[in-house]
Amino acid sequence: MARIERLINLTATLLDADRFLTRDEVVERVPGYGGTPESVRRAFERDKETLRELGVPVETGMVDPTNEDSPEGYRIPRRAYELPDPGLDPDELAAIHLAARTVRLPGAESTEALWKLGGKPATGDPLAPSAMPLPTRAELPGAEHLVDLFQAWGERRTVAFTYRSQARTVDPWRLSFRNGHWYLFGRDHAADDERNFRLDRIESAVDIGTKANAFERPAQADAGTGDSPPWLLGGEAEAIAATLRVDADQAGWTTSFLGPESVVERTPDGSIVVEVPVTNRDAFRSFVLGYLDHAELLAPVELRAEFVAYLEDVCRR
Amino acid sequence: MPPLSAEDRLRRVLAIVPWVAAHDGPTIAEVCTRFAVSEKELLADLELLWMCGLHPYTPDMLIEVEIADGRVWIRYAEYFRRPLRLTPAEGLALVAAGQTLLATPGADPEGPLARGLAKVAKALGIDDPDALDIDLGAAEEATLATLRRAVDEHRAVDVSYYSFGRDEWTDRVVEPHAVFNAAGQWYMSGRCRRVDDDRLFRVDRIRSAALTGETFTPPKEAPDLAVFSPRDDDPRIVLDLAPEAAWVIGQYPVESVEERGDGTTRVRLAVSETPWLERLLLRLGPHATLVEGDVDAACRAARRVLARYGR
Repeated sequence: MARIERLINLTATLLDADRFLTRDEVVERVPGYGGTPESVRRAFERDKETLRELGVPVETGMVDPTNEDSPEGYRIPRRAYELPDPGLDPDELAAIHLAARTVRLPGAESTEALWKLGGKPATGDPLAPSAMPLPTRAELPGAEHLVDLFQAWGERRTVAFTYRSQARTVDPWRLSFRNGHWYLFGRDHAADDERNFRLDRIESAVDIGTKANAFERPAQADAGTGDSPPWLLGGEAEAIAATLRVDADQAGWTTSFLGPESVVERTPDGSIVVEVPVTNRDAFRSFVLGYLDHAELLAPVELRAEFVAYLEDVCRR
Repeated sequence: MPPLSAEDRLRRVLAIVPWVAAHDGPTIAEVCTRFAVSEKELLADLELLWMCGLHPYTPDMLIEVEIADGRVWIRYAEYFRRPLRLTPAEGLALVAAGQTLLATPGADPEGPLARGLAKVAKALGIDDPDALDIDLGAAEEATLATLRRAVDEHRAVDVSYYSFGRDEWTDRVVEPHAVFNAAGQWYMSGRCRRVDDDRLFRVDRIRSAALTGETFTPPKEAPDLAVFSPRDDDPRIVLDLAPEAAWVIGQYPVESVEERGDGTTRVRLAVSETPWLERLLLRLGPHATLVEGDVDAACRAARRVLARYGR
């Protein structure tokens, strides 16, 4: 008997069981385990591992919970195994297929997820090109810990990891991708405050809490600085308002990048003055340096003086 | 195609069986299309099921598979009535893909994708899929729409483009091959008639884009969507980075990395344009030393900026 048949029968048997079955009971009911007791044991262990790697929830427990000498057994609880039916309409399923085909994220393959949703529907693409300016492809970079944090985020489990040499315990409120990086935003227990963490700067494995729904996720609007630019991450507690004159040829992208509300003055020659709140002065200096000589930091005076001193120092080295 | 491992085959069987069982005799052809399998593979999977079921495997305990008139029925597989739950990686793949397309300028926040994604998130137990938030970077919706149309209709576009590396604006006619997003930036790839070569353009640096009446023949091969590949004749620089500047290694395609005992790291990288190097050196400031290359570049750039401040 081929191993694939044994695996199918093993899955069916454990799903159908109304109590934990001992290994002996399992190998008696599932054909294909032969040889010495040791080779039977090894083959069963290997099959059990294979199922778990696939995501099949093989649970272990006492065959007779009233007897403390009871042997251990195995089963697959249906409610943990079964994907609830999302009830997708064909156009919705087609749209999800299209998204999965367009977007690539290393470490997160969609083929099997799509099978589980019932495969590709027969209807055509419901999204006409005119309705949506689709990219040929969107490629997000993968990140270590992303799958673990996604699980904790979705199931609302508290996580623990090391960041900047400190042990952190965090309620993962929000995962975001921006400026080419993945971030976690949530409540840091020790600080009792909201914090942002860049995933590629997490220094340890991510430990996922055992309790699901361990916290309430605040509504988006209350979720604070989740979308902050680098110059609002870290740094000082009080933000200062920095103003920057930007030459005409850089005004267009600056306005769309910072948002039109940041523009406080428009000059007939096309140049603009923007006002930006800043807590992290180093990050803001890096941003301003990107303009080279196409912008001028106007205020506050001490920020301007710092900027000038920094540049003068470059020439003294 | 190499034969599937037992694991991969099991994944497929556990997905196909519930779907077929829930439908009244779908055609073999439809099942093959849905699950992207050949008819031969599907029939082999179905044949496998004839031996499967529950102890003691008497006919009444086996899964029943009936194939007739190009259709297939699966019965008595009650334990396989639903597919297996999504793994976290699979859930991530779907939610991230959906949120990414919804983050595309012009996406319909109430269309089929948004509705479907909300249902999938609910089935996964996710209370708020919008708490996974994708920002694909700045791009004007109208510009993206124009470029997309130009790709679809094989029409050349007239663009006014800011070259960040050279720090200058130019007008060019481009035959666009693809519009795509990589690592949070929008790009257009295509043949630039000005240089008569393939080039990559960042959409947020296109000031204006207009369709021309001219069409072109798109290349037969799929466009190369690599974002940065240094040319052999680009000049190289060597930099010593302090620990504070080590991020450079992850951010740019460095060609060599050498730990130098004293805590600094020596890297070599390609530089195609001077302004690009100036920005990098000014940002790194005291945390990097240029060992090989244009050693005056940083100070020259600093003086140019300082001139704006009356220095």
